[in-house]
Amino acid sequence: MRLILCTIYIFIGVLVFATPNMSRRELLFAVPVPPDFRQSRAGQHAIRMFRLVIVIVVAAAAGALLLSPARLLGVTAAVAQIAIVLAGVISFRWQNHALASAAVQFARPREAEMSVAPDNLPWFAWLAGGPFVILSAAATWLYLHWDRIPARFPVHFGADGQPNRWAERTIKGVYGPLFFGAEICAWVVIMALAGWFGSRRSHSRPVMLGGAIAIEYMLGILFALIAVQPLAGIPIWVIMLSPMAILIPLIIVMTRKMSEPWEPMDPTPNECWKANVFYYNPNDAALFVEKRDGLGYTFNFANRWSWALLLSLALVIASVPFVLA
Amino acid sequence: MYTKHFMAQSPRIRIDAASGIPAVRQIVDSLRVLLVESQLIPGTMLPSVRRVAVELGVHFNTVAEAYRQLAAEGWLDLKHGRGAMVVPRVAPVVANEARNDDLRHRLRGLVAQLRAEGVSTASIAEELRAMAKVVTRS
Repeated sequence: MRLILCTIYIFIGVLVFATPNMSRRELLFAVPVPPDFRQSRAGQHAIRMFRLVIVIVVAAAAGALLLSPARLLGVTAAVAQIAIVLAGVISFRWQNHALASAAVQFARPREAEMSVAPDNLPWFAWLAGGPFVILSAAATWLYLHWDRIPARFPVHFGADGQPNRWAERTIKGVYGPLFFGAEICAWVVIMALAGWFGSRRSHSRPVMLGGAIAIEYMLGILFALIAVQPLAGIPIWVIMLSPMAILIPLIIVMTRKMSEPWEPMDPTPNECWKANVFYYNPNDAALFVEKRDGLGYTFNFANRWSWALLLSLALVIASVPFVLA
Repeated sequence: MYTKHFMAQSPRIRIDAASGIPAVRQIVDSLRVLLVESQLIPGTMLPSVRRVAVELGVHFNTVAEAYRQLAAEGWLDLKHGRGAMVVPRVAPVVANEARNDDLRHRLRGLVAQLRAEGVSTASIAEELRAMAKVVTRS
């Protein structure tokens, strides 16, 4: 279990380490800069300092996990996880602040096509139905083998790898993860559609839709594996590491796609970005805009639909006690 | 496939937030160019206010106001719930002398603005000559 946790934390650390590469060339630590700024002394220095902090914290977290006494492993795992995330956020913010003086305002005209041609979804949008098929297949398999499901089975494991919560062979206990998986997948689909129709037409838009569908598959497969685990006896480490099988290629592909020089960055006004992370522009009708602190899109928080979507996520999370055993 | 769809050339309007000119005026001016040049002909439906506002990064009301101004000029018919449609328009009759005065006044203003922005007089003269040729042909 220590090694699995270490692998996951190092993976998270590598992701954080690679953060400066996971954005457009015109952005560095969410600061809009000239495209060649990364190669400048100031740009290289900022990247080096950010990564130094991450390497130190991840190495300390991995060391603590490997050396911690068994009785403190749970606490150590929680602290290590929080430390890596906090180090990433603080170090990012530090470099963001340090580069503020190098910020430029993207300035280019925007265009609108005066055509009523429908804004069709790309051909691959139908793939969004796949995760629901996977979850339904898992439900069918469980239904057909109901009698073989143990009367009581573990559903939660501690940092030491030992089960610490159990469920019984009931509708809620058996199908709960599938219901919750379907809820989360439905939410991702709604977000993907809102992102498509609520953002400006650009080459990044289909990339983001594809990314959302891939994440939906990751979640669908994860919850299907969790649901069938009592019956199939899938090792916990397989379930814990399964998201990486989709996440790693997804991040590589998206980073490459987003780095291609298709079109300049969307010229959202700098003054509408709070800490260069939150976009609030009441004069922009877009619901989603290209984010500055990484890959993808972010809400325009001045659009009331952004709050409705966040509320819907809160409802999905609030449903956990009712759906999961 | 997407590129083909995305790059399909249909009439476009553009606005430049850095120009200092109000967005509503830029939209009206851009659309009027398309209407005068018959790139948008009578019977054409314009895209929804929402779609245009999202693409241009402006408020819905800005596009709605631009559509209203063009409707007041007689270019568009705004039917509630059915969008904006280009309609045939007859140019108002204005006395030649008054029209020439107005034209001269506007051109002088535009030339002064361009010179103030650093555009050379040679470039302005060249563009005006090219424009004169286009206008004469149409």
